[in-house]
Amino acid sequence: MSSKYYGEFGGQYVAESLMNTLDDLDRAFEEAIADPKFWEEFDYYMKEYVGRETPLYFAEKLSKKYGTKIYLKREDLNHTGAHKINNVIGQILLAKRMGKTKVIAETGAGQHGVATATGAALFGMDCKVYMGKEDIERQALNVLRMEMLGAKVVPVETGSRTLKDATNEAIRTWAKEAEDTFYVIGSAVGPYPYPKIVKQFQSIISKEAKKQILEKEGRLPDTVMACVGGGSNSIGMFAEFIEEKDVELIGVEAAGLGIETGKHASAMALGKPGTLHGMKSYLLQDDDGNVLLAHSISAGLDYPGVGPEHSYLRDSGRAKYVSVTDDEAMQALLELCKEEGIIPAIESAHALAYAFKKAETMTEDQILILCLSGRGDKDCHTIAAYLEGKSTEDLNK
Amino acid sequence: MNRIEKKLADLKEKKEKAFITYMTAGLPDMEGTKKIIRAQEEAGTDILELGIPFSDPVADGPVIQQASYESILKGTNIHKIFTMMEEVRKDCEIPIIFMMYYNTILHYGVETFVEKCMETGVDGLIVPDLPKEEQGELAAALEKDGAPILIQLVAPVSKQRVPYILEGARGFVYCVSSMGVTGQDGGFHKNVVNYLKEVKEQSQIPVMMGFGIKEAKDVEAVRDIIDGAIVGSHFIKIMKESNYNLKTITDYIKKFKSELG
Repeated sequence: MSSKYYGEFGGQYVAESLMNTLDDLDRAFEEAIADPKFWEEFDYYMKEYVGRETPLYFAEKLSKKYGTKIYLKREDLNHTGAHKINNVIGQILLAKRMGKTKVIAETGAGQHGVATATGAALFGMDCKVYMGKEDIERQALNVLRMEMLGAKVVPVETGSRTLKDATNEAIRTWAKEAEDTFYVIGSAVGPYPYPKIVKQFQSIISKEAKKQILEKEGRLPDTVMACVGGGSNSIGMFAEFIEEKDVELIGVEAAGLGIETGKHASAMALGKPGTLHGMKSYLLQDDDGNVLLAHSISAGLDYPGVGPEHSYLRDSGRAKYVSVTDDEAMQALLELCKEEGIIPAIESAHALAYAFKKAETMTEDQILILCLSGRGDKDCHTIAAYLEGKSTEDLNK
Repeated sequence: MNRIEKKLADLKEKKEKAFITYMTAGLPDMEGTKKIIRAQEEAGTDILELGIPFSDPVADGPVIQQASYESILKGTNIHKIFTMMEEVRKDCEIPIIFMMYYNTILHYGVETFVEKCMETGVDGLIVPDLPKEEQGELAAALEKDGAPILIQLVAPVSKQRVPYILEGARGFVYCVSSMGVTGQDGGFHKNVVNYLKEVKEQSQIPVMMGFGIKEAKDVEAVRDIIDGAIVGSHFIKIMKESNYNLKTITDYIKKFKSELG
């Protein structure tokens, strides 16, 4: 019972009809991670298919400019362009092991949808991706990619018609079809054991980073940083450092147009504990307890909740959560392009923007590692519109 | 005595099945909701589920989702619903169950929510995203005398969980007839007869069936096993399509109730 919680957060707030399904999943997952053969297979696909390990790149020019050692964990170099694929390969291998033949997924901007469609194609599984009607219109390229990969993209027309509602619809379908269908959740959210599963597969990020920094610097970093939407790249980046008490952990949420405007995605800054998508965690809600829509220029951070372990890390003081506005993130994005020749995803640029502020308080000998969770190709139209001078409020729409 | 338990005892004595309906609070508006509740009592609905609209109703199908969404847009919230309950209870004794999602209760504050239910005459709660394992905090608050009953749900796949779910259960057991969400057209679960029999055998309290029921004939095959039927999505459709015409609503209830027997 207590193991399903992170402090007061987590749990299984789902319909009775899913309780046995979660129990089966939990058992299958625990068996899998205790089986060396499972890891052999996972490692094989991480190396040969995803292209790991990813470099821990020393950003020399930025380091000089900001006066501290800045390292970038290059998750943007993964196959499909972001960290999402790590978790998808893990979950689909688990699904296969459980004898499932179909997978479903939710997606916002489409990155997790593309990763799931990719994994489904690789392992010959049927794939349905639930995506809000609004997002389908804004992310036509990713819709096309998913369809090319053989997935069926199901438009969700209820509620706000974005990620939150796509997740609701995926949960509804799962409750109906769990017998032969595996639900591949893309972030460190959802009912237990999903937050644990996602962390397990994403922790490859910090396992590599820890080994790499010890090789390069002979010591642990002072600060580790990542952006937080639902919190999958950040929990993966934090995982191996949580027990290293001298390493400062910082999660960067999206402040959208500014926290004070109410148009943001900072569940940690202004949310209160609530239940959504099967978990108890910090959640943006209105005065009646209805879930509020999140706002961010970055579709991947546009989520009103956050993974339960992050809520726990926040309340226990182990990690610090800050937020960065649309404008700050876009400036940091452009700066990385010019200084280092890397076009980051807008999500990752949020972490970058805070890293620049943080670096100014650090010394030349200190080390900061930042998870560059994805590449910015998918964002080029948003970036172009931003450069043309459209307000970030319009880009939020 | 709790109104649900009293009603169920009466029905048992009269050897009648229970007819239970679901309606979304705040539709067509709060005044209309009051009128429909009173009309339902007169027409013979035994127990009434009142849906408290929530932004993310994951256990509901398209009809109830849409109703919930429309009601929120009309400004319905839990405070207005409590006020409406107070007014209804001046002259109406039909047992009323709030069907709602846990976040609404958490946000209100579990203790104060239960107190408010007691003040305004709410008899029961159905919380579809709160499985037995997560009920601790709410169950503790519901231990007070006169507090509403937390109705337990079981699903066709609950199997070995049934005894655990039924332990200490009061009122009735809500048997979900199919997998997934409310108001599907796919028909009942393939093992519905055996499933209902198994639950009935293990239950000390009445067993009701819900999800996907439209007419009394839908439950004919299981009529002798169950103690009553619950109609939600279809009832909402009838109300909406008739523009909340009280006569249409009343006729439907009378027909279902008399055919159910």
